[in-house]
Amino acid sequence: MSILDTIYAKAKQNPQKVAFPEAANEKMMQAAYEAGRDGYIYPVLLGDAEELRALAGQRGYEPEIFTFVDLNDEEYKQKVIAAYVALEDTRLKEKALARRMQDPLYYAMAMQKVGEVAVTFAGIDNTTGDVLLAGQMMIGLKPDISTVSSIGLCDIPGFEGSEGSLLAIGDSAVCTNPNPEQLADIGISACETVESLLGWEPRCAFVCYSTLGSGQGELIDKVTEAVKIAQEKRPDLAIDGEFQFDAAISPAVAAKKVKRDSKVAGRANVVIWPDLNVGNVAVKLIQQFGHADAYGPMLQGFNSVVCDCSRGAPVSEIKGNIIISAVRAAGMKK
Amino acid sequence: MDRKELEQKILELVAISYKKNADELSLETSFKADLQGASVQMVALVAEIENETDACVTLQDAAACETIADLVDLVENEL
Repeated sequence: MSILDTIYAKAKQNPQKVAFPEAANEKMMQAAYEAGRDGYIYPVLLGDAEELRALAGQRGYEPEIFTFVDLNDEEYKQKVIAAYVALEDTRLKEKALARRMQDPLYYAMAMQKVGEVAVTFAGIDNTTGDVLLAGQMMIGLKPDISTVSSIGLCDIPGFEGSEGSLLAIGDSAVCTNPNPEQLADIGISACETVESLLGWEPRCAFVCYSTLGSGQGELIDKVTEAVKIAQEKRPDLAIDGEFQFDAAISPAVAAKKVKRDSKVAGRANVVIWPDLNVGNVAVKLIQQFGHADAYGPMLQGFNSVVCDCSRGAPVSEIKGNIIISAVRAAGMKK
Repeated sequence: MDRKELEQKILELVAISYKKNADELSLETSFKADLQGASVQMVALVAEIENETDACVTLQDAAACETIADLVDLVENEL
């Protein structure tokens, strides 16, 4: 069973309500419909309900698959606003919130914050920047997390790691040049992401060009500092480093290079890059030379799941990302 | 709200969002060089501005402000 099959099976066991603020978009509506029809999610479409119903009909979709939320339904909007402003960790007050909620992306995220839906799925009409900013304002970052970041999940043919052919890597997409605190937070978030999505017990390695002091320099200092911060913040997690990449994932190399006990060395299932230059090049190498499938980027660091899909993505990829998001959201509720 | 009141209000909101003492801030304070804040703090600041004034500034525009004075100009234009 492939990793996607496993995730799909998990989604079916516990389908989540997913809000679609760009529901009129043809590809988005099709992906939402297929994911709903196949039993992975309960799709909630936001917009002009009459218009959306008509569009769904024209496109041949059974309307009962969807729940429609009309942005002009003042009674429901006021209910969401009242619940939102009553929460302790929200920033916007009623008037400012009502104004922001004229934008369906903010409306959907307000619904998510108050638990009306588990996750908001957007990014086909809105830019990544729009989604990240709305997420920070409406959902907020986790209390001890200082940055938004992302991980990718790589399925690498021929790789025999501690999770078979799978390896989670981050950040290859969002946080460009993290300081030690931010790098520590990327690692902590990555552990939580793989736990919620895959049920793994995370073993997280911070990598660079040195293994436990074999090299020196400021590029390494940042990583060792990040490891220290992450270990202090989350002693419950298996986080270790600094390691070279091979010492992180290969038991044979770890046996030679890591001369102390480590739960992570040689068997890491989560690898944290020192910056986005490394992360982006690394994921391309894994794809090009390793012929790997890379799923993601999955955004992390938020209080609940925020997702962004590529604007050029085909329906099949959007559907896959919707389902991954729903499983993460279900995992975070535990 | 006149310009002076708006300046005072924005200084107060910057102090809250960036967890600084208002006495340490002036209109010339630079977001990047002096406050070194993360985007999280800018998000908090924009939310405070929306709550406390009738201005609706975008995060992109606010993040582009170099100094607090630039932010006051931006908010004034939106009022």
